[in-house]
Amino acid sequence: MDEKIAYFNDLLVRLEEIFYHELSGMTHPKVEYVGIDFLRSKNIEGTTVEEILDNCIKEITAGGLAEEVTYSRAGEGILLILKIKNCIHIPMEAKLQYGLKNEGGVAPYMCPIANMILDRILEVLKFQMVYNASIENIDTETGECSLKCVIYESVEKIGQVGDWRDL
Amino acid sequence: MADIIDLISSRRSVRRFTDDPVSDEVIDKLIEAARWAPSGENEQPWRLIVVRDPDTKAKIAEIAKLGTGGRVTAEYSLSDYWQRKFAGVKNPETRARLFKTMYTGQASEFAGNAPVVIVVIGELYDMFDTPYDLSCAIMSILLEAHSLGLGACWVHGPSVYPSIVKKMKELLKIPTGMGQYKLIATVSLGWPAESPKAREKKEFEDIVFWEEFGRKERP
Repeated sequence: MDEKIAYFNDLLVRLEEIFYHELSGMTHPKVEYVGIDFLRSKNIEGTTVEEILDNCIKEITAGGLAEEVTYSRAGEGILLILKIKNCIHIPMEAKLQYGLKNEGGVAPYMCPIANMILDRILEVLKFQMVYNASIENIDTETGECSLKCVIYESVEKIGQVGDWRDL
Repeated sequence: MADIIDLISSRRSVRRFTDDPVSDEVIDKLIEAARWAPSGENEQPWRLIVVRDPDTKAKIAEIAKLGTGGRVTAEYSLSDYWQRKFAGVKNPETRARLFKTMYTGQASEFAGNAPVVIVVIGELYDMFDTPYDLSCAIMSILLEAHSLGLGACWVHGPSVYPSIVKKMKELLKIPTGMGQYKLIATVSLGWPAESPKAREKKEFEDIVFWEEFGRKERP
């Protein structure tokens, strides 16, 4: 099983590298659909962001995609901070990090877990826009990642800036 | 043949337009310019949707605002990228205005005020180089527009999100299958109501190597 997971993560590493090489800095928005099908098949329901998040996380952990996913919200409800532990894709992140450090490779920019959660917020709650803005930290030793995503319930939320760097 | 370096170097990205209409004759010239762009294997994947309907332009503007504003709101709040980008703008009020233009998405919203928006899409099936071919077609449009005295600006940013592209495709009744058409950009154009200054350009010697990467001296 581990070899199969390694194999699929290696495929994703190659695809991330190729995409970045082809598209440069705007690659990460282009891959927002990668990963979404898992939760699209699970009938995620909810009427609030928190309900959607909780139901997504139940399926993600039950499916063995990650051991733990926690979240917090800030920035007038726009900023969604995700912390993901022991994700099935950690080997992909580790390989990309190694390549970046040693081979002039590509910084990790794609998180299928965040993508699938954001897609459910967009589609189920009819949000206007969602975006995985930043993979803040990938600790391959502890298996923990943290990400900062933005979710815009309405067009009026666009442009409500703040200082979220230390959140 | 005429040297067109002056035409190329005097072109600006124009985002403000007068209300004066752009005639069919002029639009046809722009399409003709795109038609003669180079393409891989001469496949000519480009298809151009000319939009003049005010409601459709307003919806395009709103979708573009979502894409740019949504991204920049996050970038502005999470990093110093935009501070660095506008570091050369010394006037704080001007800087603040520029920031706001970006994070509100206004920077991409001007399609709503342009007399004409050309949505540039390309066939994907059986093609070789669609994104690059489309970029060449856009450059041809921009140069022809400039040569005719029009102002124009192309906006690619909002087209980077599949979810936003889907909104645009649904609005314009473009087939939404991922293997069908690529929507690469919109080109907003009209008679210019502004004369932007030239943007800072990298120096000649900063962008060229001779014979091999890194070799700066001309043989």
